[in-house]
Amino acid sequence: MELSFTVNGTKVAVDVPVGTTLLQVLRDELGLTGAKEVCTEGECGACTVIVDGRPLDACIYAAHAAEGAAVTTVEGLADGDRLSSLQAAFVEAGSVQCGFCTPGFLVMATHILSTHEEVSEDRIRRDLVGNLCRCTGYAQIVDAVLAAGRRP
Amino acid sequence: MDFRRAETTDEILSLLSELGPDAAILAGGTDLMVQYLRGEVAPRVLLHIEGVSELRGVRLVDDVLEIGTATTHRDVGSDHQIRTHLPGLAEAARQVGGFQTQAVGTVGGNICNASPAADTVPPLLVADAEALLVSSRGSRVVPLGRFLLGRRRTGRRPDELLAAIRARPLPSGSGETYLKVGRRGGMEVAIVGLAARVGFSGETITDVRLAVCSMAPTPLRLPEAEQTLVGTRGEPEAVAAAAAAILEATEPIDDARATAAYRRRLVEPLVGEAMRICRRRARGEEVAWN
Repeated sequence: MELSFTVNGTKVAVDVPVGTTLLQVLRDELGLTGAKEVCTEGECGACTVIVDGRPLDACIYAAHAAEGAAVTTVEGLADGDRLSSLQAAFVEAGSVQCGFCTPGFLVMATHILSTHEEVSEDRIRRDLVGNLCRCTGYAQIVDAVLAAGRRP
Repeated sequence: MDFRRAETTDEILSLLSELGPDAAILAGGTDLMVQYLRGEVAPRVLLHIEGVSELRGVRLVDDVLEIGTATTHRDVGSDHQIRTHLPGLAEAARQVGGFQTQAVGTVGGNICNASPAADTVPPLLVADAEALLVSSRGSRVVPLGRFLLGRRRTGRRPDELLAAIRARPLPSGSGETYLKVGRRGGMEVAIVGLAARVGFSGETITDVRLAVCSMAPTPLRLPEAEQTLVGTRGEPEAVAAAAAAILEATEPIDDARATAAYRRRLVEPLVGEAMRICRRRARGEEVAWN
């Protein structure tokens, strides 16, 4: 069944069976492999993307539910080679270990920063509860989000 | 499998009357898609209702709060009327899964998924919630406790839509809470969840409603336990009697998350904590959100 939506500002159209997840479309049809497939049951947040302003787990979101939607993936955060301030903060704070959870954390934290004028450590920790880092490098991730939140 | 997107309630009802049990109603999909991907369900049609705006939002109608079925947990948790009139439900909605689950998961989905651990159900049960079921044949209202028939089983007929939940606002002089035990502070399926709505006259408890989840095949109201607390001050003996009555009325199991023995052990301290929080909230004190 055909499906079209916008990814990172670009209109795309695919033809996939109903029941295909949004993550499968992004990775397998569109080559956007930033969002990761890990738990496939909405537990870990490694596949987090933003659909019409809502951060969600793409691994359990029906692709056809995104018809006509605006989707943002981790590939849409940088401006060409220029990292977003959050991405730069991740580099500076050493927030990346194995890196598998990083795209999900970046997308979720981008949403948190874009919806709050000021953001506390408590808020960051609460709203990142659905993102797991198996390397347990949470402190550096939270530091990076705090640092990015302080920048204009 | 086919995919049908509804834009209005009427479209949903006409598709349901045509498709009946072949259709699975899809909102955020945080339960349905997981079950589909595991091969536990195989509907012929996914009926997508997320875009039906008339099924979202909260209204106060004749002193009853009506919550549209497709209202997300995020919206329930932040809605001013719910935080004021159904604070236990707001508290529960903020503890369903993580942010990503709350952003698209809905209150109607949490109910119709009929999990023994459904977080939003205990606080709705203590608010005398009713399910508004509509079909092209008409509509009916069923008490939520009677709508939930067992694990993964509800009284929804194949052509019906759970359109809204109606719940009674917290009376003045009362306090309410939803307490959830998990292994970490979020992203959890409840080991035990307890909702309490408690009214006071001075120090004395005059009215109590209690409901639990993850203690039986469905979340349950606990009338016998409630009675043991009425007329007391919530002293340790009264709390112990209420806990004993809860254990009498429930049948916790061993599973991957906890043993039945651990679940039983949690009941008494949870009842005690709920009475303390409700008492403080009834006095107008701010007690932090979990």
